[in-house]
Amino acid sequence: MRNTTFATLATAALAFGATLAAAPALAQTIDTARIEAGGGNDWPTYHGNYKSYHYSTLDQINTGNVKDLQVAWMHFPGRSTRGVQSQPLAADGVLYYSGSYSRVFALNGATGELIWSYFPELDDALVARQTHSPYNRGIAIGDGKLYVGTVDGRLIALDLKTGKPAWDTKLMNSQKATVGFTGAPLFAKGTVVIGSQGGEWPGRGPIFGVDAATGKQKWQFLTAGGNDYDVAAKKTWGNDSWRTGGGGGWMTGTFDPPTNTIWWGTANPGPLYDWSGADYKTQGARPGDNLYTTSVLGLDVDTGALKFYHQELPHDAWDFDSAVGEFISIDRDGKQLMVHPNKSGFVFVYDRKNAEVENVWRMVENINFVRDITSKGELIGRRDFTAGKQDEVLCPHISGGVSWNSGSYDPKNGQYYKIGQEWCMKLSVVKTAAITEPQAQLNIGANFTIAKPPGSEIYGHLDARDPITGAKKWEVRYPEPPLSSVLSTGGNLVFVPDARGVIHAYNALDGKELWSHNDGTGHQGGIISYSAGGKQYVAVVAGFGGMATDDYSVQFGELYKSMPKDTGALIVFGLK
Amino acid sequence: MLHVSITTAQQAPAGQDKLDGETLFATTCGWCHADGGREAGKGPKLANSQRTDDFIAQRIKHGKEGAMPAFGGTYNDEQIAEIIRYIRGLKDDAG
Repeated sequence: MRNTTFATLATAALAFGATLAAAPALAQTIDTARIEAGGGNDWPTYHGNYKSYHYSTLDQINTGNVKDLQVAWMHFPGRSTRGVQSQPLAADGVLYYSGSYSRVFALNGATGELIWSYFPELDDALVARQTHSPYNRGIAIGDGKLYVGTVDGRLIALDLKTGKPAWDTKLMNSQKATVGFTGAPLFAKGTVVIGSQGGEWPGRGPIFGVDAATGKQKWQFLTAGGNDYDVAAKKTWGNDSWRTGGGGGWMTGTFDPPTNTIWWGTANPGPLYDWSGADYKTQGARPGDNLYTTSVLGLDVDTGALKFYHQELPHDAWDFDSAVGEFISIDRDGKQLMVHPNKSGFVFVYDRKNAEVENVWRMVENINFVRDITSKGELIGRRDFTAGKQDEVLCPHISGGVSWNSGSYDPKNGQYYKIGQEWCMKLSVVKTAAITEPQAQLNIGANFTIAKPPGSEIYGHLDARDPITGAKKWEVRYPEPPLSSVLSTGGNLVFVPDARGVIHAYNALDGKELWSHNDGTGHQGGIISYSAGGKQYVAVVAGFGGMATDDYSVQFGELYKSMPKDTGALIVFGLK
Repeated sequence: MLHVSITTAQQAPAGQDKLDGETLFATTCGWCHADGGREAGKGPKLANSQRTDDFIAQRIKHGKEGAMPAFGGTYNDEQIAEIIRYIRGLKDDAG
């Protein structure tokens, strides 16, 4: 594969922006130190802070008064094709969030009053050709700017106070690759990190590091086959199949400040399903382990150099990728650990120094793509398919045992609150070939249908678990798997926005429901808590319509048949 | 200043343009059109579709906003005809 870097792009991107009001609070600098301490009054990065707890220390809203929680204000981003899937951010009393087509809004966190908005002009012809588009899953802030990716392959920086563009960098030739950026960037130490879409797209899944001040690309990490000098990784792809290997880093990872390391997960290889049979090392579409797909990577934030990695599923033949962006930093018994859920429903626990596996536990019951994964991370009893109809259903379903959205870890009580999804699929594997000309396309390698797990209905569950051992304290079940992120707070509350459109608040200690509110349409995005003007708020996005949700209308009936896939809102709650 | 890095895609495997409709369908369509188009899923059931060939060809080419991507930049008329031939053949497999 040939890579060319151009110093300049001849034409500047047009954009529509407006600044309406001054920020309600004295804006301070958001830097790495403040993000590291986030999760109190502010929510300055996708995962709350670099520890990825999705937890707010705020306790104004608590088990005693949550019954008085009500809508404080709402905001409609408009043009919400495929719903609203983003994670809002908050800093210094201002709420920032993005909608479909990478529309960005800065709003007064107490009133919802618009401070500024920014609508980038996108390549509409390209958007029409994209499968996983045009939703946007979030933004980053730092060093006086806000950063957002676009589905046509750009990373844009806006002045945090005014919304005016500071720089606009074209990182990918999305017109050729078809995929761009839907995931939120990560700001760390003057670098903005963002990963490309596309596991089953015949690219090489780059992850980029960009200078936050100038917009200049600092580094690129090619996940399929590694960078050009990485001969060893390419040897894990027979027949030079790394050239069309996939492996995008499509969700937001995190930063470990003491080691200067970006932790980032990668997607599955392409084709999505393989027909190798048991001898996957030498047979099939992509013989070998296929480094660095379905892996967690430790990258130097300044250079992008690979410091360590662990491939969670060597030769992933099931689309159970590692792109889930949760990397939860927990110290226990003298060990510095990192907890990472794999899409398969197995949760990996790593040594934070080197990604050596410390433990693996099961988040969901219905797993049969392997018989087991040992506590050391070894796959036992793999199911590697040959072409044709598979007699036994494959579990979990392609939408995963866990979603790309995040759970929440309460450091006060040590519990990890996470949604599990119990569903399977009927699968027929078909030999295909990668399409790269004239424009790349996804390479599935199969036909399939969602199916019930053996002996049960499809369902979802919120679990309260020990994040290191997986020991379960309590569980709440849902007839349809919730798909959104979870929030826990210092008020001993756990918030779950469900697929039907109801947001629930549970007692963190026992799972008893204390409050609920119907937001009017399904949730499949983020939820945060923050403070503005001395008052605590909970902000959630509603709006259905992604790849996983598209199965709900046939599977779960009328509520989902009539649920719109082109609308959404930001709903903010406060006490009466 | 704007910057761009372009990663070029690879040449298509030899013979790709001769792939049959069943293969093309399983390459790009089987995620949304369940059981190879035999059942309703994310996308509609295609077996026994009452839509005309021309309608299906136009939908494959231009897609439907928010529901189906446009494949006109990927597939030529001959390949789209192969996919429609596969869809029509699903009648025999349906049910």
